Amino acid sequence: MLNGLNVEGTTPLHRMSVRAKLAILLVCGLALYAVSSLFILIPAFVITALIYFTTGLAFHEAISRLKPILFTILILLIATAYLTSMREAAESFFRLMAIVLFAGAVTATTATSAFIDEITRLLQPLDRLGLVRAADVGLAFGLVLRFVPDIFNRYQSIREGHRARGLKVRPLTILAPLIILTLKDADTIAMAIDARGFRRPREKHR
Amino acid sequence: MTTRDLVLIALFTAIIVVLGLIPPVTLGFIPVPITAQSMGVMLAGCIIGAKRGALAYVLLVLLVAIGLPVLAGGRGGLAIIQGPTGGFVLGWIVATFVTGLIAERLVKEGQSEIKQFTWFFIASVVGGIGVLYAIGMPWVTAVTGTPLSAVAMGSLAFIPGDIVKAVIATLAARAVLAGYPLLHARA
Repeated sequence: MLNGLNVEGTTPLHRMSVRAKLAILLVCGLALYAVSSLFILIPAFVITALIYFTTGLAFHEAISRLKPILFTILILLIATAYLTSMREAAESFFRLMAIVLFAGAVTATTATSAFIDEITRLLQPLDRLGLVRAADVGLAFGLVLRFVPDIFNRYQSIREGHRARGLKVRPLTILAPLIILTLKDADTIAMAIDARGFRRPREKHR
Repeated sequence: MTTRDLVLIALFTAIIVVLGLIPPVTLGFIPVPITAQSMGVMLAGCIIGAKRGALAYVLLVLLVAIGLPVLAGGRGGLAIIQGPTGGFVLGWIVATFVTGLIAERLVKEGQSEIKQFTWFFIASVVGGIGVLYAIGMPWVTAVTGTPLSAVAMGSLAFIPGDIVKAVIATLAARAVLAGYPLLHARA
């Protein structure tokens, strides 16, 4: 139900570390905002497009992922072109597309688990300060992925319940039972986690 | 943070993901179809409160960032955060916090039903609409160069739908408060 958006592969981007990819995305993204020359923005767009379309993503899949965001960008930039200038809109278009394409390429070449490991590592300094528990992040991710299918099944049975009673399926009458039924499990799940000792109390701190 | 809080946060994030899988509803008098997921900010703030609600959204934004298709229509990935509407995605966290803060302070368990409805509605409108647009719209302007006034005019099309969402979130939050109160419960 929740498969990652990444594809397997051996491109340079696949082999690069997550941290490096995110750093490049951040630095290049910010750097592009400092640039307003089309002589740099158009090549940047072409290069990122080449990177994005060579990640091993099937062509139709690559296009369909871009569609919603391209739609938003176009609507906004048509307004910009009309209200300010054509040139400014063109600059924004190539800059945004370059960033979006590279972001898409990072997403397509990085496995979910690699991201989670990296987030946990990045949180280590905060963990040492006692502000967060880095291991909790992985646990929380796991819980979400584990319970989405369950909650979806629950939604379906509430919907069936509505149909069986001849009621219209409305968000209003679905939300309350769905939320209450789901959150009621929290105590049991928390007990199960504690019983297995997944969140050991800190020994060194506090 | 207790294990129970952690579980509540993760379960709420999972609920928000599931709300994105429910087909959107079109109401006759509103131009934009309503996705159940976009009520998540108001629901999270009003049901599990400021801190846990905001953390549920931090978790959701992280799920988006790591490339899981958790948003309505199977969207996800870093491009969403880097794109023109990224301000709204990041704004969800602050918006949920503000919604929760108002709801926690003003809604009491012994209050009359009318008062609870009123405060939940105000919390949803201020946090889920006011704060969200206050962050999302300038972001659009900063990223695309579209004048803020034009972005604001365009956003007006979404306001009627947002008010409907605030009403639905208010009724749902009050039902949960009556059935399984969590807003003020701290372990």
